[in-house]
Amino acid sequence: MSVAIHTEKREELSSLERVVLALQYKKPDRVPAAPLVCGASSRVLGYSYDRWSQDAEVATASLLAAQDLIGFDGFLTLVDLSVEAEDFGQEVIFPERSTALPNFDNPFIKTAEEYNKVKKVDPRTSRRMSTVIEVVRGLAAARGKEVPVMGFVYGPLGVLSQIRGHSELFKDIIRHPERVLEAVRTINESLVEYALAQVEVGATAIVLDPLYSSASVLRKETWIKFEAEIFKSVADAIRDTGTPVIVHNCGGGVYFDAVQEYINPIAVSHAYPAYGSANWEEHAANWGKKVVTIGVADPAKVGHEFSQEQVLEDSRQQIETFKVAEGGFILSTGCEFPPNGNLLSAATMVKAAKLYGRY
Amino acid sequence: MSTETETQLHLQLSNAVLELEEDLAKTLSQEAVDKGYDAWNTIENGLLDGVNRAGKLFDEEEYFVPELLIAADAMYAGLDILRPHIKKNAPDHKRKVVIGVVQGDTHDIGKNLVRIMLEVSGFEVHDLGRDVPPQKFVDKAKEIGAEVIALSTLMTTTMERMRDVVQILEKEKIRDRFKVIVGGSPLSQAFSDRIGADGYSAKAAQAVLLVKRLLQLDPQAVAA
Repeated sequence: MSVAIHTEKREELSSLERVVLALQYKKPDRVPAAPLVCGASSRVLGYSYDRWSQDAEVATASLLAAQDLIGFDGFLTLVDLSVEAEDFGQEVIFPERSTALPNFDNPFIKTAEEYNKVKKVDPRTSRRMSTVIEVVRGLAAARGKEVPVMGFVYGPLGVLSQIRGHSELFKDIIRHPERVLEAVRTINESLVEYALAQVEVGATAIVLDPLYSSASVLRKETWIKFEAEIFKSVADAIRDTGTPVIVHNCGGGVYFDAVQEYINPIAVSHAYPAYGSANWEEHAANWGKKVVTIGVADPAKVGHEFSQEQVLEDSRQQIETFKVAEGGFILSTGCEFPPNGNLLSAATMVKAAKLYGRY
Repeated sequence: MSTETETQLHLQLSNAVLELEEDLAKTLSQEAVDKGYDAWNTIENGLLDGVNRAGKLFDEEEYFVPELLIAADAMYAGLDILRPHIKKNAPDHKRKVVIGVVQGDTHDIGKNLVRIMLEVSGFEVHDLGRDVPPQKFVDKAKEIGAEVIALSTLMTTTMERMRDVVQILEKEKIRDRFKVIVGGSPLSQAFSDRIGADGYSAKAAQAVLLVKRLLQLDPQAVAA
């Protein structure tokens, strides 16, 4: 006598197939779930965060193990927002148990006269960008045929803020606009190469992060002038290879209209409703059918506060809200899953997509 | 009582701050000193008024972070000139706040905005900067007799440092001497409640109202 016990419906599609369909507004078997587990993966194999951030083999093995454990539908190679900055000359601090960050007591650009210190670098050989390229290569080789590998590039204005200091950069935008623009253009040249290098080693898509396209920081016209008009060339270069462009921005009040005009992503990963949308329902109605939504769970709540029942319910509500997107929705956290958050909650998001996200 | 000319200079100074004219703010502040105008009145009706107006434009999304930061720089430049001339009978019993970004984090835009908003509302703010160890918040608050400790972070990996501050206060049996407020993108009221803080604010302007509420001050009043 044989007894077959099925506790979970077998998945009909691979993660790659599921995500690709969602990005085309074609309803896959279920809503894909990709809770942006990046630095948190270091804990799966027990590595320290600083080692995970700087060792491509360790990061690759950790992300693969995290995917085995959690079953998420996409890799994101967001290591930290200092990757590019270090290669342009910024001293970076690597805490053992937290995200790497610039040492702002020692900014690479100390005065407005020093913007011309920024020189083009080769991301294929510079220390940290080449490490991320190797992570993309490793993930793509190991699992790229089943699970999408999304590369990551921080926008040039964001990179500049990491080597000048945020407050000083924002003031320089008004006081020394030409110097800032020159540095943004120089950084951007390297970012084109960085994006293309990730495509060459097998990235399924590239995520661009124009963090300051946000009403919580800059006027829309300011962002357009100081980043969008320049960063556009990175998006165009990626698209020219036939690779999709995705935008990530966890800031408040993202200027979706300007992002669409200049970066024109196939999907946007975000944490708050678009500028001009009062809530998620309004956002879904305004933007759900224009650009694929990746989000929108609050990372801190999911990773640190919610019980598993609350994660399930929160995910269910988001799936419900974005039904109006007609398949163009990927359940995710609005920003990186907390590196020190409860990994069970990431797995519960995947479970919620299986339970409530069937098309 | 201010003369018409003095009032006119206060308005010019306020406008200079509002219009991000740091050099003009310095010139007008020096002019106030040279003419023997009351320094505290000049600060309150000129510099603080200007940043206050900039803050309102920030709330209305007419100004953004760059404009507010430069308006604050203009205010600080004028303050450097006027502060040594404040008469002894001027208000010097301001309510004190210690503020900083917690250990392990160096993102300080949010902290800087809250600092500016608190200062223009009349609080004396002691800014410990970025990457501040928990004990340092407590030691500074005790040293200056602060009533409020304001903690900021943008990172989920450093949120728990805020709990450390509360625990140190409890361990030293001085928890009831201070109001602890927290702010930063990943935080929430639930997090604030969980670590035993006294309040959470999502935005800089709301932080001022929160502090006033916790200190039982009139929401419209300056803190001096």
